[in-house]
Amino acid sequence: MINAFWRIAAVGVATAGLATAYGADEGLSWLTRMANASSVVNYSGTFVYHNRGTSETSRVVHFVNPAGGVFERLEALDGPAREVIRTNDQVTCYLPSIKTVRIEQRNAKLVPGLLPENLAGIGESYRVRLGGIDRVAGHECQIVVLEPKDSLRYGRDFCAELKSGLPLRVRTISGRNEGLEAFAFTQLTIGGSFRRDRVMSKYASKSHKWRVDRSALSLVEREVETGWAVTRQPPGFRKLLEVKRSIAGRAGAVAQIIFSDGLAAISVFIEPIPGKRPVQTLTHQGAVNIYTRPLADQLVTVLGEAPAATIMQIGNSLERRSGAAAR
Amino acid sequence: MERISQLMDGELDSQSARQALSRLRQHDGMRENWDTFHLIGDALRGEETLSPEFGRRFAQRLAGEPTVLAPARSTAPKLTAYTLSAAASLAAVALVGWLAVGTRTATTPPAELANAAAPAVAESSAPEPVTAPKAQLASEPYDGTLNEYLMAHTGFSPSTVIQGVAPYIRTVAASHSEQNR
Repeated sequence: MINAFWRIAAVGVATAGLATAYGADEGLSWLTRMANASSVVNYSGTFVYHNRGTSETSRVVHFVNPAGGVFERLEALDGPAREVIRTNDQVTCYLPSIKTVRIEQRNAKLVPGLLPENLAGIGESYRVRLGGIDRVAGHECQIVVLEPKDSLRYGRDFCAELKSGLPLRVRTISGRNEGLEAFAFTQLTIGGSFRRDRVMSKYASKSHKWRVDRSALSLVEREVETGWAVTRQPPGFRKLLEVKRSIAGRAGAVAQIIFSDGLAAISVFIEPIPGKRPVQTLTHQGAVNIYTRPLADQLVTVLGEAPAATIMQIGNSLERRSGAAAR
Repeated sequence: MERISQLMDGELDSQSARQALSRLRQHDGMRENWDTFHLIGDALRGEETLSPEFGRRFAQRLAGEPTVLAPARSTAPKLTAYTLSAAASLAAVALVGWLAVGTRTATTPPAELANAAAPAVAESSAPEPVTAPKAQLASEPYDGTLNEYLMAHTGFSPSTVIQGVAPYIRTVAASHSEQNR
């Protein structure tokens, strides 16, 4: 059966293609507005996540912390109950079906914003243009299209709410013009004042006896040399960060190197092979491709919202930096 | 005509598929029907349509290339064996068919796989003959076993900076399959 959603998506992209009267600068300034919206606007609503033929609905609440940062709560409404709470310091996933709490300790200072230099990178790798005005969840929004200049990345199609700049719909499109993934609000209230109970987990009291899986970024703020380098880095991607960190369930430190073209990001994880020697695997979820491979006595995991060929090129060209001691 | 439609949808068993492909090879008229069906499918999906000549030119180009294996549907293992033995021109037809049908399946399109396989070949230190058909790494739907890594990645993506907490839905997707961990 042909998915009606993607047919509409394709028509939307085609329509946007006709309206090229606006320059790339306006497109980039809309991107900045979208990125800034989350630090100035409170909102709550329901969104649908479409992922290659499946879709699921979630409720989201987003409050801006006047002292900086955000409080967010995401609750899956379809399938097994799942909840994600995000604050400046950590992301917590509550998985009641397996009585597990998964915590990612984070260091918000290490997370790059959408800085002007990143925007320049976007202009190098994507043709940015404004489309027409659309309506999503009852709100008028501006279509902003990012078309990749090569096959190393996916295209994006945003629709940003006219007043606040909040992205109401985000679609990821492959080089063959297939919709890979889409987020779209179906109901949205912009504004509202902070209420602690709305960003508290409903499992907060029940989860004391659940299993806790904890991952954390090193609190050392400077970057570290992990001893690894990617020799055939795909054009347009720059290294954002290189750290050693902990991952739940792994005994030792895991190296993480993050690359970005200003819009998409790819993470490389390198760690001693846990247990028996793994085989190469390639999996996908929506716009994210995930590649794993053994490399000598190490396990390499590469993932990100980029085509499988790009992800594999990074994974296959990973080498120990010459002179670096084995760690 | 109905057979062509069934063949496109992968609904024929290996015996019937063999017969249908054989007739397709012998009758120009049926080949045109096959092409037309795919053009209609493409148009319905709002994709850029290929010219009717595409199939012929593609087959010519492909004849000069090493054989590319389209990943088989898991329910029809016998079809794999058949595809292996297909003549290059038929492989071209099958591949074009797969490309057109690919939008409805949950797997990564083979065009992407074909590109993806290249670095794997280049990476090998021992020189390999370029013409040797190499098994490709087919992309499977994610099974939820690497959610810690997805979590560790998501916060660093500029897309997350733009979209807020929403992309974290990926990090808890398929969690039910984690019960076997």
